[in-house]
Amino acid sequence: MTQLEINSVRKVAYERPAIENGYNNQTLGIDLSSTAVDIKPVPDQMKERFIGGKGFDLWLLWDAVSGETRWNDPENAVCIASGPMGGTPGYPGSGKSIVTSISPLTGSVIDSNVGGYFGPYLKFSGFDALAITGKTAGDTVILIDGIDEKIEILEMPDLPNDSYELSAVLTGHFGQGKSSHISVVSSGPGAKNTLFGCLNFTWYDGQRKMTRYKQAGRGGIGTVFADKGIKAIVARWDSVSLKSNQPDDLDGLRTVSKLYSKEIVTLDPKQNKMASLGTTHLVPIMNDFDLLPTHNFKFGQHAGGNLIGSEVFQHIFDKGFDGCWRGCTVACSHGVRDFVPFTGPYKGKKVFVDGPEYETIAGCGSNLGIFDPSTILEINFYCDNYGLDTISVGTSVAFVMECFEMSQISVEHTGGLQLYFGNRLDALELIHQMARGEGFGTVVGQGIRRMKALFAREYGADAAILQDIGMESKGLEFSEYMTKESLAQQGGYGMALKGPQHDEAWLIFLDMVHNFMPTFDQKAEALHWFPMFRTWFSLCGLCKLPWNDIVPEDNKDTLEPAKVMKHVNWYADYFTAVTGRKSSPDDLISMSEAVYNFQRVFNLKMGYGRREHDAIPYRAMGPVTVEEYESRTERYDKQLIEKHELDIAGLSVEEKVAALRKFREEQYAELQDAVYQRRGWTQDGIPTVATVKRLGIDFPEVLAVLEENGVSA
Amino acid sequence: MITLDGKQVPWRPDMSVAQLLAYVEKPEQVAVIRLNGKLVSRPVFEATAVPDNAEVVLIPMIAGG
Repeated sequence: MTQLEINSVRKVAYERPAIENGYNNQTLGIDLSSTAVDIKPVPDQMKERFIGGKGFDLWLLWDAVSGETRWNDPENAVCIASGPMGGTPGYPGSGKSIVTSISPLTGSVIDSNVGGYFGPYLKFSGFDALAITGKTAGDTVILIDGIDEKIEILEMPDLPNDSYELSAVLTGHFGQGKSSHISVVSSGPGAKNTLFGCLNFTWYDGQRKMTRYKQAGRGGIGTVFADKGIKAIVARWDSVSLKSNQPDDLDGLRTVSKLYSKEIVTLDPKQNKMASLGTTHLVPIMNDFDLLPTHNFKFGQHAGGNLIGSEVFQHIFDKGFDGCWRGCTVACSHGVRDFVPFTGPYKGKKVFVDGPEYETIAGCGSNLGIFDPSTILEINFYCDNYGLDTISVGTSVAFVMECFEMSQISVEHTGGLQLYFGNRLDALELIHQMARGEGFGTVVGQGIRRMKALFAREYGADAAILQDIGMESKGLEFSEYMTKESLAQQGGYGMALKGPQHDEAWLIFLDMVHNFMPTFDQKAEALHWFPMFRTWFSLCGLCKLPWNDIVPEDNKDTLEPAKVMKHVNWYADYFTAVTGRKSSPDDLISMSEAVYNFQRVFNLKMGYGRREHDAIPYRAMGPVTVEEYESRTERYDKQLIEKHELDIAGLSVEEKVAALRKFREEQYAELQDAVYQRRGWTQDGIPTVATVKRLGIDFPEVLAVLEENGVSA
Repeated sequence: MITLDGKQVPWRPDMSVAQLLAYVEKPEQVAVIRLNGKLVSRPVFEATAVPDNAEVVLIPMIAGG
């Protein structure tokens, strides 16, 4: 493409404020319907209570929508923010953007934490957060140019559709010869034609001289983006240093950054090798512990599991620096050079694949019965390029494969696709259909919750079995961990605010492998502390990985190794150094708790956020079928006899399946009771008035939502 | 000899990973090790032999996601 057609719809000049202690103290609102550009001050209360990042997003989103707003209404907003520490180049994992919207899949608030340069560039361009509302006819590009201090809404009708090509073209055009000054947010054709579209956020790989990509995957924010008619958002910024955030204590920041970076550089090669393997090291470990989802979460292990993990990808990943933000020493964003797809529009062409990470390998590999690295790479490439969330794609395709094998659906419904586990060609064809908006791809692209209803209503499928095996909760597809033997992780998924994503709590090892939390109260405590601390990263523009994927050598000797308190203390020092707000580890938890509870009330405002919405399918708790039970008979029989003191002599397998189910469902309900109590919620899962007052979020509109839902002082 | 987290430990024939971990404080907390560059998890500690001159690193496995 040599000449781009560009029509300027609106151009607004602005004066970039001086950043002060990590904040610009202003946000940017763009209404695509009216083309209004609105720069608003950040009130002190917003900083104090909501900190930044996801907190600011939620504040802006709450103002934008009513309880009746649906995902494709113009007033729904796509909000993107960094955080007070976002954009710090020396402290590992400080380049994250947090994106929120009302989700097409869940109907409620969704948030996604993503790497790439956009969030920092947005902030250094003068804005702590961005909220885009309204709609256009399409082909709209928004330019936020912090160097020339202008915001432009552009119509660019002849841009490519695929995300990779689109981002590369925009980087070349707006970079004016300096591609590293550009970060692009875009979606793709799959986002337009499904409900689980993702967003690609770019970073420029100076070593390889190419645009690289990270994904805000969960919940269909890419679909909202595409529905608004946005082709891309481009941020332009130049220089970044430790001083860019104008930290309150530069020396303190320098000290803690050096300590953390040095530790990671020293210990990562001995520990998980994130800088060379990324999260692929998890694949063989999960497989060994019976935790790698296989065949739609039926099983946790497969003989082929070792063919798709770090031992393979260490030889395939292109060597070089793979940090998705400048100076990050974890540098886990690996990719594969010169991959040649064997299907689809890029068939036979050499492409660079950003990934795969563990989630994509498990979701689009083992869970589909595919143990071939090339196919996983191809699915990874096309999902990203089409703007599709690999987790929802993987879990949804796994669901339809099991439905197909159970004869709940047939070739008559799939348009001839033979969707048995392991059929890589038809799995790929399904993904191409999603991008083209054709055939059975349009059905699968609606997500599992809608498919369950459709299959039962239109195809005569058994609604009860679909409910048991359809791995979604709140409308969001499960991410890729087996939870049958970890009650705490069942709660970690079921009671997560946005749906079953592991970013709130990953307790499988602590619970199942180490048995660190045998009682309900201990599990409830973990389901308080860990979601709160993990939430804090998204308030500050940070990545969670440096916290506990590399740990101090003496960590195992500390009182609570799982919390990695040395690092938590460093994070408190980091926050203090940048913002000047002196903070302890307990303060970090309190910050998160306020935002966390606000988001729970937000769910309530949207018609969700009660106990019933924290339900999970039985496949997440235990064996649904005789086949599953019999695959681990010794384990399940032992539990029935020893743990539940049941005399199983003479019971059929079906009766044992039913008995185990009764015990496990009771356990989950008991866990809900304990967690709600620990979080200061009613037994219906709603924050009490005392809780919102304690956290300082007792705003009139919050109290009104509580009152509408029967909770008052 | 075996190098276990930087320390020298005597090797003996037919030694398994589980037996090697007797030299570690709180072996029950070790879920994953790296044996000569390859990840080995607890479910196969008993069945995995440790060769002489092996290099073994204990992996702190608490993270994920």
